[in-house]
Amino acid sequence: MSLNRLRLATTPTLSATLLLAGLGLLTAMLFGWQIVGDWPAPGDRLAGLILFYATLPRGAVALLAGAALGLAGALMQRVLRNPIADPSTLGVVSGAQLAMSAALLYAPGLMAVAREGVAFVGGALALFLVVALSWRRALDPITVVLSGMLISLIAAAFSATLILANGEYMMSMFIWGGGSLEQQSWAPTISLVIRFVLAAVVAGLLIRPLELLALDDANARALGLGVTGTRLAVLTLSVFLAASVTAEVGVIGFIGLAAPNLARMAGARTLRQILFLSPIAGALILLMTDGLVRLVSLGISQTVPTGAATALLGGPLLLWLLPRLGGSLRVTQQSVVLAARAASWRLLFPALLLLVLAACALFVGKNGEGWALATGHILDLVVPWRAPRFIAAAAAGAMLAAAGVLMQRITGNAMASPEVLGISSGAGVGLAAVLVFMPAASRLVELGGAAAGAVIAILLVIALSARHRFAAERLLLSGIAVGSLAGALVTVVMARGGPESLRLLNWLSGSTSRVSPEDAMTALAAAVLFIAPLPLLARWLQVLPLGLSFAQSVGLKRSLAASILVLIAALLSAASTLFVGPLSFVGLMAPHMARLAGFVRPIPQLIGAVLIGAALMVLADWMARTLAFPYQLPIGLVAALVGGPYLVWLLNRR
Amino acid sequence: MRTRRNLLQLFAGSLALPFASARADEGGIAIVDWALLETALALGLKPMAAVELVLYQKIVAEPALPDGIIDLGLRGALNFELLATLQPSLIYGSNYSAWANDTLMRMAPVREFSIYLRGQAPFEKAVAAMRGMAGDQGLQARAETYISETEHFLAATGERLARQRQRPILIINLGDARHFRAFGSDSMFGDVAARMGFVNSWATRTAYSAAAPVGLESLADHPDAIIAVVGPVPPEAARTLPQSALWRAMPAVREGRTVWLPNINPFGGLPAARRFARLLAEELKRVA
Repeated sequence: MSLNRLRLATTPTLSATLLLAGLGLLTAMLFGWQIVGDWPAPGDRLAGLILFYATLPRGAVALLAGAALGLAGALMQRVLRNPIADPSTLGVVSGAQLAMSAALLYAPGLMAVAREGVAFVGGALALFLVVALSWRRALDPITVVLSGMLISLIAAAFSATLILANGEYMMSMFIWGGGSLEQQSWAPTISLVIRFVLAAVVAGLLIRPLELLALDDANARALGLGVTGTRLAVLTLSVFLAASVTAEVGVIGFIGLAAPNLARMAGARTLRQILFLSPIAGALILLMTDGLVRLVSLGISQTVPTGAATALLGGPLLLWLLPRLGGSLRVTQQSVVLAARAASWRLLFPALLLLVLAACALFVGKNGEGWALATGHILDLVVPWRAPRFIAAAAAGAMLAAAGVLMQRITGNAMASPEVLGISSGAGVGLAAVLVFMPAASRLVELGGAAAGAVIAILLVIALSARHRFAAERLLLSGIAVGSLAGALVTVVMARGGPESLRLLNWLSGSTSRVSPEDAMTALAAAVLFIAPLPLLARWLQVLPLGLSFAQSVGLKRSLAASILVLIAALLSAASTLFVGPLSFVGLMAPHMARLAGFVRPIPQLIGAVLIGAALMVLADWMARTLAFPYQLPIGLVAALVGGPYLVWLLNRR
Repeated sequence: MRTRRNLLQLFAGSLALPFASARADEGGIAIVDWALLETALALGLKPMAAVELVLYQKIVAEPALPDGIIDLGLRGALNFELLATLQPSLIYGSNYSAWANDTLMRMAPVREFSIYLRGQAPFEKAVAAMRGMAGDQGLQARAETYISETEHFLAATGERLARQRQRPILIINLGDARHFRAFGSDSMFGDVAARMGFVNSWATRTAYSAAAPVGLESLADHPDAIIAVVGPVPPEAARTLPQSALWRAMPAVREGRTVWLPNINPFGGLPAARRFARLLAEELKRVA
């Protein structure tokens, strides 16, 4: 598992070194050309000031932010022994952004004096959650990145909710989300220089312990290393770097992923080489991307914010990296949590719970005065509105839970969930395309666009993992890569800040409030159609988690079984995404809850998860409807808040 | 132009059909768009329910909200259930709330007036919206008074600014200390400024009434312009900009041709147009 054993397919060659040098030259030429373009005419004092206070610091900030992110990525990859770790895949950037948005709205005074501190706290919290979610799996690389992706999605949904609920500073938040390197003084440059130098010195001091970390933990301990302390120090350092960048220029994704890998391509092998070359590579990539962005926008208006442009690089980069990661991403086998097996009649409990919650959802709500039990005339008025929501929520919850069972069984990974298949992000791109190109489209066209996006995303994921016979880690990584790419595309549209941005934000935050009776029936039909055949496939579900060799020994064609199951999981999650938005923990939580309640075999687990998923979603919808009445909360967010802490506890309990 | 307007009226008329039989008594209407809420309040109507009233009070500010209007939640996430229990007899919405039309029509007829359409000047559309609403409610006389007052006010205020309007004007919103967006001729602010006799310095194409955020250095392309910064201004920008060398070097800032206006709804109706004109005139007089 160590990075020493990580072999990129490319060997260190002259051409790779030339590549880095060529990149440097190209970047320098691009920036030089911009300086020439902005060079003031004689006597033009204002143009001189612009060159000095905008163009030059912009270049400096690009270099520094890129270097800081490159270093942060290299450190994270080292300490987590994970070649696809970086501040954006681990949720640090989204966490920092969320903290800044929240502070801007609720503690503007704090934001004015301690931007970096706020960003650091947010980033650190996000990383803490990621580590907590994957602790029991010994911080296995894929589980860490899956957790990071989930935390990112939740933080993004939170930010979306904040933006929607507070129109005042909407533009500021869109600008952060897009990540802009625009400058008007040297203050951010100076702040970043100080922070980068500080971090580089600390990183230098940590080189020796980091080298020891390449050994396994027991050996490192034997050599007198405080393993946990070192890891903690290094992670803190990388969060510090990433949060500083986010505080100054907003969300800049994937530089931390690209830079160390570029450094390795250019021949860096030892830790010292990687730590030295990664910041350089990061600085060059960011300056180059920013130069291209400026070139495309011709100085008039930023068509693509720089941060979104780097994120667009991230998806393809992950895809390109996939085949080159060799055995470094071997998945540790699922640690089966032993639970007492429960008798099937106990499935009545979740069924009963669902019924109680359904009654609650229909009869209990709020009106202008407070809590109220709807009866008689009022009941007649509210039921046409509550019933479709409740039905759609239950159907979506059931579908997500079923998709979660499938995903966890196919991949044998406890953190696999429908969100990480890239399907929901694909649906987002489809919706975004409809909103941009056909602003007056009907709801049906929007749903069609979202469905098309989801299908394209899943076909991509299947195509990418088919070559590797649907090995679990390929499937998950392809999903993450496609999801990142789609997410970046959505960010680009969102950064435009027009009416379609608001619609996208609304979808992103997730809501059942628009569900019509027809929608509810469609959701219910989809749930029945896609879930009903699953018990017939129980044998596959039983065998797949036991690994490739076992599947072969019992005569199961793994790739065929896996591709059919993935397709069903995709249809399930695409259908639910249309009604409740892209995010909820339900697909992740419900299968675990069912398993821990003792429903271990495939069919009981499936039924239990479906019931629990439906109940969770109904509960979330009811809370979303009532907690902030008359304002409504996003359902996905409520589900995540209700279930998230429980999930962390669940995954870590002994 | 004439025919197009006739066509529009025809179109609006067809929308009004289902409503003709359900003329609302005062108090029975719900409004799911801020510009139309402003318009209704200016006409002296008191809707029973409207959207996002918490933020309305911060950003739109006038006309002031009378007590007793029920808040329907966010514009993007209306509380349909609450609205349904109120049993409105008519709902006013715009293209910004058109996404909800299918759902809203399940509880009451929906009347749609759109003021902000890509590339089209909004002032006349705001006038048409006021006339349309007044026609529904039998308040034609009040609407005509308000409209002519507004037109007169804009013209008169423009006259009083005869000296200032020799310069072009650049109307902006600050995103943060590094970015602004400008309001073009298809925005209410741009349209009103033009009606006051100003030349809009922002000639570049805009989308949705305002251009995408651009860097602060672009202000240098408008050396002769008056700069009007419309609120809300993010606190961090308000704190850092006065110290920024680049900001202070901009001709409009250096020569005291920059005015800061309080919050105004950039997607408002006629009341927002008036508020903008009044505040702009006040601030320009103050710095003069």
